[in-house]
Amino acid sequence: MSMQQFTVQNLATGYGDLQVLQDISFDVGAGECLCIAGRNGVGKTTLMRALSGELPLISGGIQMQGTEISALPTNRRHGLGLSYGPQDSVTFAPLSVKENLTLHYQDQNLERYEHLFALFPRIRERLEQSAGSLSGGERKILSFTRVMAEDAQVVLLDEPTEGVAPENIDHMATVIRSTLQARHSVIVVEQNLSLIEAIADRVIVMDHGAIIHETANGPELRNEISNLLKV
Amino acid sequence: MDRRAFLSSSAMALAASQLPRVATAQATPVGKPLKLGFLIPRSGTAGLFGPSSEACIELAVNKINAEGGILGRPIEALLGDAGGAPSDTVQAAQRMWRRDGVEAIVGEHGSASREAVAGALRGQLPYVYSPVNEGGYCTDGVFTTGETPSQQLAPAIPYLAKERSIKRWYLIGNDYSWPRITNAAAKEFIEDSGGEVVGEEYHPFTTDNFDSSLANIRDSGAEAVLINLVGGASVVFNRAYASFGLDKQALRLGTLIEENTLAGIGAENSGDLYSVSGYFDALDTPAALAFRKTYYDTFGVDAPVLNTLGQSCFEAVLFLQAVIEKAGETSIDAITAASEGISYSGPRGDVTMSGRFVNANIYLAKAEGTEFKIIENFGGIASGTTCSI
Amino acid sequence: MESSVLFLLNTSYAVLTLALVVLGLAIIFGLLGVLNMAHGEFVAIGAYCAFAVQSAGLPLILSLPLAIITTGAVGWLIEASVIRHLYKRPFDTLLATWGLSILLREGIELAFGLEYRSVSEPVSGSVRLLGVDYPIYRIMLMVALLIGFAALYVWYRRSNAGVRVRAMIANPQLATIVGIDTQKLARLAFAAGAASAGLAGAMLAPLVRIEPFMGIDFLLQSFFVLVVGGLGSLEGLFIGSSLIGGAESAGSTLMGGTAGYVTVLLISILFLWLKPEGLHARR
Repeated sequence: MSMQQFTVQNLATGYGDLQVLQDISFDVGAGECLCIAGRNGVGKTTLMRALSGELPLISGGIQMQGTEISALPTNRRHGLGLSYGPQDSVTFAPLSVKENLTLHYQDQNLERYEHLFALFPRIRERLEQSAGSLSGGERKILSFTRVMAEDAQVVLLDEPTEGVAPENIDHMATVIRSTLQARHSVIVVEQNLSLIEAIADRVIVMDHGAIIHETANGPELRNEISNLLKV
Repeated sequence: MDRRAFLSSSAMALAASQLPRVATAQATPVGKPLKLGFLIPRSGTAGLFGPSSEACIELAVNKINAEGGILGRPIEALLGDAGGAPSDTVQAAQRMWRRDGVEAIVGEHGSASREAVAGALRGQLPYVYSPVNEGGYCTDGVFTTGETPSQQLAPAIPYLAKERSIKRWYLIGNDYSWPRITNAAAKEFIEDSGGEVVGEEYHPFTTDNFDSSLANIRDSGAEAVLINLVGGASVVFNRAYASFGLDKQALRLGTLIEENTLAGIGAENSGDLYSVSGYFDALDTPAALAFRKTYYDTFGVDAPVLNTLGQSCFEAVLFLQAVIEKAGETSIDAITAASEGISYSGPRGDVTMSGRFVNANIYLAKAEGTEFKIIENFGGIASGTTCSI
Repeated sequence: MESSVLFLLNTSYAVLTLALVVLGLAIIFGLLGVLNMAHGEFVAIGAYCAFAVQSAGLPLILSLPLAIITTGAVGWLIEASVIRHLYKRPFDTLLATWGLSILLREGIELAFGLEYRSVSEPVSGSVRLLGVDYPIYRIMLMVALLIGFAALYVWYRRSNAGVRVRAMIANPQLATIVGIDTQKLARLAFAAGAASAGLAGAMLAPLVRIEPFMGIDFLLQSFFVLVVGGLGSLEGLFIGSSLIGGAESAGSTLMGGTAGYVTVLLISILFLWLKPEGLHARR
């Protein structure tokens, strides 16, 4: 049996007594990009929080390279090679941009960001500024560079393009594609159909806390998803 | 508090039962035990007086029972904490009176507690108030055996004014009636001696930063500071006083700086410090020496140091012995009547009650390291307060 | 001139010792969002450590490691047994730590009794400084605190561990996302906060009254500083300490001790009312 990079089985979760997601199952292979689409409030961010460990599961399981991780806290999942860029509160606002990028490395070295700075020069320009002084889009880019430089086996991104200018969205697609080439897996919650078209191998569409549709990337993708989201 | 009071009274009873055989052979008290309640500070700022007081009470109980008790009845001491709020002291007094059936109460605590306890007892139970006090009150049922400002300060202030050429006095005390009334009296004595008061301050019991007062004393150019602080507050103040070098500017006179307080202040901080009182551990009159010998023979050299407050508890028992023997009973009316003119002999010497206050011999001592050296004997002085009988 | 030198020294002393006392409460509140009502009792335990060391006839300096170890261990145990289960439930932690404060107070009373204790200064006497006599022990304390706080500030601002601590204060969710073990950091922070309170108690022991209820005053003072200075930053701590310590010092010098307390209380009420975030909140 071939071992999948990342597997979710019958996942159910929620907040307190309120169950938000039920029976979510999918898997993602090495070098594969799975995009998750859906209207606002259908549970996409809740799913990402459950995958990252911020939200405990009610039932079901999550495996990374065959290891069950659903009982591990977020920082342990990070240690096993899971990187996560959340949707909101994506930076340490009072800390400088530089500190945001280096605090989780013992060596505090910025070299690992060189190729990203080449694509997003604004981040390098603002290294000494506090992250809180950046615009919303810049904060998203900062978070994106932090996640992508971690070079993790599995990358979770929750709406990375929110507020980001189109040319930078293109750069993001470039970075994600090179990560995929390195046989890493990427799971992205995204509204921007252009980005989905540029990076996705498969797309799942969610509604009311469940997966309602799954499809491969292809020429009909845009119409297919647009129709589902209209309803 | 209950449990502790019970424990200590059992300890007392045990201690009493192990009296020297000689003593019990003389006269074994028979009859119903005569219970006496003692309200002494075992917590709070005055808590450092507690151990000396407890030991002195034990000594007094041993002595009286060895002599055959009072009216042939063995006496039994019940202890309650008077170191907290007056309302807590009142509760302890009520328990002693209503539940334990004490026939008299001895109080060695602050004047705020005295007013509260006297109010609760409503003059129906003999209540001996033993410590240094402000004088001038005549609450029913209260018999005062401690020193008043007329006794302490009327001689001490003119003496120091003359001997040390002091003109400028600064008054500091804790914020309640004893320090305030004592200072009011002190002002008269200061004026009479040709001096002036250059500052007056009162602090809550919880103060442990006297920086602003010390700065004010410094700026006032005071030559003497009259200290009416209690226990722990006095220790903290006096330490800071000396560490700011103020002992080189102004002498200190305390009305309640006894041996435990002085030990807390420490030798390095006790420069130019006087204390005025009716009793000191260093007192070398025959009566005081005899008392001292019995005390340290009984409790050992490491016993809590003897002081005016412990002595006052001891003397309160002697007073009760004398007055109850004379009255032949413990009712408040009989005791009040018997109290007038009654005399007894204690560590301070011969004491006579008049108008529910007593005359007393008064001494001025100067600190030398952590010990007092008596430098002046003012002789017997009247209390200055006479209450109707 | 000399009066103002004395005032300046007294104010600096008040501010520095206040900052020392508040530090533990600020650490625990800043990192964990827990208002530790037992903070004063940790200060008291530190002071009793000094009393115990001196009673045993040992050099007073030993009280510092003893206080740090004792209060640190108690803090660690409390976090592991009680507080850990109550994060994100501020009212419950308030009640729990309040209950703990009573428990600790009773423990102190059981061990040492209700009487006031005192610890004598390891060095007595005064030095002449710009024309005024000032206690040597206080000067030593102030110098040690200045050095200590400077080192702490550099650590907090410059070191990797300091950045992680600030990151956890700023965004605890994201801190775990980037791999910081916030549970471990939380336990360490609680122990460190408790130990810092214990250290404060041991250092101040020769200058304050020592009794089982002494903690309450320290808790109140610390609370005022946090109200004014803002929560969760070292800068806020210094600003709050300066304002409260300065106001108390000035108030009591100009108008007497009670006025000092009233000034502090008024300032705190004004802040709670008009600027509840404090002067320097989480920046």
